[in-house]
Amino acid sequence: MKSRKRKNKSKKKSFFFEDYIEPESLIDSKKLDLVKVSLSRVNFLFFIFFCFVIIFSIKITYLALSPLPNKIIFSDNANKNFIKKRGDILDRNGIIVARNIDIFSAGVRPSLARDKKKLLINLRLIFPELETHKIKLKLKKKKFFYIKKRLTESEKTNLFLLGDKSMLLEKHQFRIYPQKNLLSHILGQIDDDNTGISGVEKFFDKDLKTNLLINSSLELTLDSNLQHIVREELINAQSDFNAIGSAALLMDANNGDILSLVSLPDYDLNKRFSINDDIYTNKITKGVYEMGSVFKTFTLAAGLENRVIDQKTMFTNLKHKIFCAGREISEHDNLPRNLSAEQIIIQSSNIGAIRIAQKIGIEKYKDFLNSLNLFKTIDFDLEEIGTPIPFRWGKCKLATASFGHGITTTPLQLARAYAILGNGGYEIQPTILKTGSSEREQKKQIISTETSKIVNSILRKVVSNKEGTANFANIDGYEIGGKTGTALKSIEGVYTEKKFNTFVSLFPISRPKYVLLVILDEPKPAPYFVYEFPNGYKHKGEKRNTSGWNTVVVAGKIIKKIGPILAINNLQASNKF
Amino acid sequence: MNTESDQTKYQLDPQRWISTLPLYSKQKGNREVKKYSIGIILFVFGLILISIIKNETRNLQKEITNLRDSINSIKFELYQARLDHDVITSPENISRLAKEHLESDYNYYKRSQIGHLNQKEKILTKLEKTKIKKIIMNKKRNKDVKRTKKLQFTKKIKINKTELVKSQYIYSKPKNLSHDIKLRIAKKIETKKNELKKFYSDPHEIIKSKKAQQWMGLQVVKVFLGIPIVPGK
Repeated sequence: MKSRKRKNKSKKKSFFFEDYIEPESLIDSKKLDLVKVSLSRVNFLFFIFFCFVIIFSIKITYLALSPLPNKIIFSDNANKNFIKKRGDILDRNGIIVARNIDIFSAGVRPSLARDKKKLLINLRLIFPELETHKIKLKLKKKKFFYIKKRLTESEKTNLFLLGDKSMLLEKHQFRIYPQKNLLSHILGQIDDDNTGISGVEKFFDKDLKTNLLINSSLELTLDSNLQHIVREELINAQSDFNAIGSAALLMDANNGDILSLVSLPDYDLNKRFSINDDIYTNKITKGVYEMGSVFKTFTLAAGLENRVIDQKTMFTNLKHKIFCAGREISEHDNLPRNLSAEQIIIQSSNIGAIRIAQKIGIEKYKDFLNSLNLFKTIDFDLEEIGTPIPFRWGKCKLATASFGHGITTTPLQLARAYAILGNGGYEIQPTILKTGSSEREQKKQIISTETSKIVNSILRKVVSNKEGTANFANIDGYEIGGKTGTALKSIEGVYTEKKFNTFVSLFPISRPKYVLLVILDEPKPAPYFVYEFPNGYKHKGEKRNTSGWNTVVVAGKIIKKIGPILAINNLQASNKF
Repeated sequence: MNTESDQTKYQLDPQRWISTLPLYSKQKGNREVKKYSIGIILFVFGLILISIIKNETRNLQKEITNLRDSINSIKFELYQARLDHDVITSPENISRLAKEHLESDYNYYKRSQIGHLNQKEKILTKLEKTKIKKIIMNKKRNKDVKRTKKLQFTKKIKINKTELVKSQYIYSKPKNLSHDIKLRIAKKIETKKNELKKFYSDPHEIIKSKKAQQWMGLQVVKVFLGIPIVPGK
């Protein structure tokens, strides 16, 4: 249009109105073009508007359908925000055993302090336990410093009410353990950077930091109530028998679930202090010991499994003393000279056990013990795992190993081996992680069911027979079977008079469901302790400190107390009534 | 001429310009107006709708955030309360409180005890059953005994009655008595007479007699026991 106009202008020099009059047809077409342009503009606007509508509608639907953010954010109107950095740990009943909470630390910025004297007085009023001269020196240096970490609620409010600019309240997360000492050897601790440094906290560190576990929790097989009962009994036993340490393990014999694991002395997980003393090691998983006569059961089982002996096989002319590599091996008591294989276990004859082992032979005996995985490092859900001390097999080693000397393993591996012997010979894997499967899956059978049955019947006789070494554990109604073990402690390769007593029990022996292992480290004779025999007879002034006179008593007391709780959970047992 | 003609030619005609305007039909014009007006209305409506939607979404967003906040605060409270609960109800705490505030120790029941209790109940029921059986049997026996006793008594009564009748008959007619019976009665009367004579003539002998000694002994025992002494025969 414009170009046309320019052309006309160049042709006509004078102004004539007519020149600007355009024919009707031309005007119509121009108008129509204009209308078209305006219509296209309107359409364009509509298109934009339509786009907006679609965008907003998409946004609305997105808002309506979008799920909540993965991380749990706790917030209220007071700007309280809490984002968990680590998942909770629960016991088998859903009781919290470890949880993260927000705590405050108080720090001072001396450069912002107007009246330092007044600040010092106030701080002394709030924290009377603090050393003021040290704070005074720090205030002079004008560098930021912490007064106290992990403030209590009252301390926090008092500091807040001071309204001093120089005071800084720093919020950070802290792991607390509501059960204090109860599960100290299992749970372990975390450092200030939210990283596990021991126990479950270390082993499941990555898992506990994943969103999945932060939103849910890590469930353990341990039972806090059972754990408390077992711990109380062990504390009492330590004072009764003047032992330096003790431990107990309660495990499901069919699926390896650990219901209770106690090792004393323990420590409060909420109080952070470095522990260097060996006495605080987890005796069940980390401790590697010579267990004594509890190994005789394996000797018998090896004999039965290899069909070298049966339970009635007689061993005649058993000596009271023999010598091996210049070392004397003797009986613990005056035992008969002729004993059957069964009687060797019931009366715990060392020489008898040697004779059984000699009949089996080194290779077969070694293979049998290896099949029970007694000498390899066990695969378990904790970092603190002990490795049995390696040794060379020989005639003397066979002799001493038959009654549990010169051969080491961890109590956890011992309990596992007993569980296999008791449950019909099926392999199990001890665990503290709740998986949800209550019944044993189809697993490898290590020992024949027949051997298992015979061993169980003999273990029952150890407890129920008068000649047995574990009469104090004959608690009416629970069908307890077990074996005692009294080992002499070797310190720097030299055997001492100090004892390490063990009692491993299986109950109910007709169909073993639980394994209970009790350990007392260096128990002393308890002349003032009143022993109560199953027939009601009471005895005081005992001078012996062998396993039958302490660990068996403790195991009996524990089973008396935990029995009803387990019976409630164990339908098989309760259905018997 | 030319100028005239030019004048006429270029004479201003006001009507002439009107005709120069493009001629549109009324229908065509209405359509355009309709199009524009609908467009404008839709545009305005769209604008209003957008603002309404925007406000609504903003309100919804606010409501959602408020609800989320309240849910989170409730969750946080629950989080803390659960922790408090687990601390308070920890086995250690409960046992400590029990020791402090409860007078008697809570005792656990042995499974064996439960078994014994059941057994006792069973024994009791057995005993009860046997007792009931015994009672029934006794009742039956008692009935039989009563019958036999009744029969015995009736027999005895009958015998006694016949004897009485006989004796009455005998003593009513002493003359009809046989010689032997008369002798027996005479002997009895004589022995009694002799006894009485002896008692009055020599009372020491009677005291020395066994019967009298037994009687005396009995009286002494009665005195010691505090039983009232009844004069003997």
